[in-house]
Amino acid sequence: MSVPKAPSGHFTLLYFAAATSFTQKQYDFIPAPLSIEQLHTTLETKYPGISERILKSSALTINLDYVDVEQELAKGIDGMQIQPRDEVAVIPPVSSG
Amino acid sequence: MSNPDDRAFDGEQAFTAENIYVSLTYEPLDTNKALSRVKSPKAGAVVLFAGCTRDSFASKTVTHLAYSTYAPLALRTLQTIARDIRQKYNLVGISITHRLGRVDVGEESILIAVSAAHRTEGWRAGEECLERVKERVEIWKEEWFEDGGVWRSNRDGAAGVPVRKEES
Repeated sequence: MSVPKAPSGHFTLLYFAAATSFTQKQYDFIPAPLSIEQLHTTLETKYPGISERILKSSALTINLDYVDVEQELAKGIDGMQIQPRDEVAVIPPVSSG
Repeated sequence: MSNPDDRAFDGEQAFTAENIYVSLTYEPLDTNKALSRVKSPKAGAVVLFAGCTRDSFASKTVTHLAYSTYAPLALRTLQTIARDIRQKYNLVGISITHRLGRVDVGEESILIAVSAAHRTEGWRAGEECLERVKERVEIWKEEWFEDGGVWRSNRDGAAGVPVRKEES
């Protein structure tokens, strides 16, 4: 998969495994800045049911670093902001080996 | 759904540091290469683990597996694990390679090779390394069954979730 560059003012959200199955996509471009809470709301609007089916059991990375999602959701709008050009990824439970 | 043409990159992506080799590849795995990467006159013990594709899951016949990954993150996690294990067990060398894309029954999906001065560290390092890879590395397996079904597995022994029909 090669992902094109996000248009200006947007970040890239990557989907893997179960998240790809659910969204039927490998990535989306989403306007930034955006808090983690707003990201969840945006995704739930775009893909109804995704919070319960996918996000609840998945981790989240921003530029390859894991985010403490619970803490960020608790902070709400005051939490960290995803910036334009960031690479964010939904990481479902892994199954290598 | 993994498509054979839908690759994150071509061939192999590797990271090497002193006595550490980790890689992801769409090519068949080579046990001799893995062994030669860690062999050393200082190492009296070389342990090789090969994870292979089984022909069944929960009594259903598996035709093949397919692995996908978030390559830059998986490589980073593999490096961290390799570094930790090498230090903890005082290894001479460590090599971890995971295969991606379609893997047919009987073929290797992962090779872990470690070398140590003595066998005890080698055995233990190999075991802990595999457990940590399975727990953390950002790679996902799909199991393809004879009856046409595809399941996304979660963990060993746990039933996966069906991949939605309209995908296939």
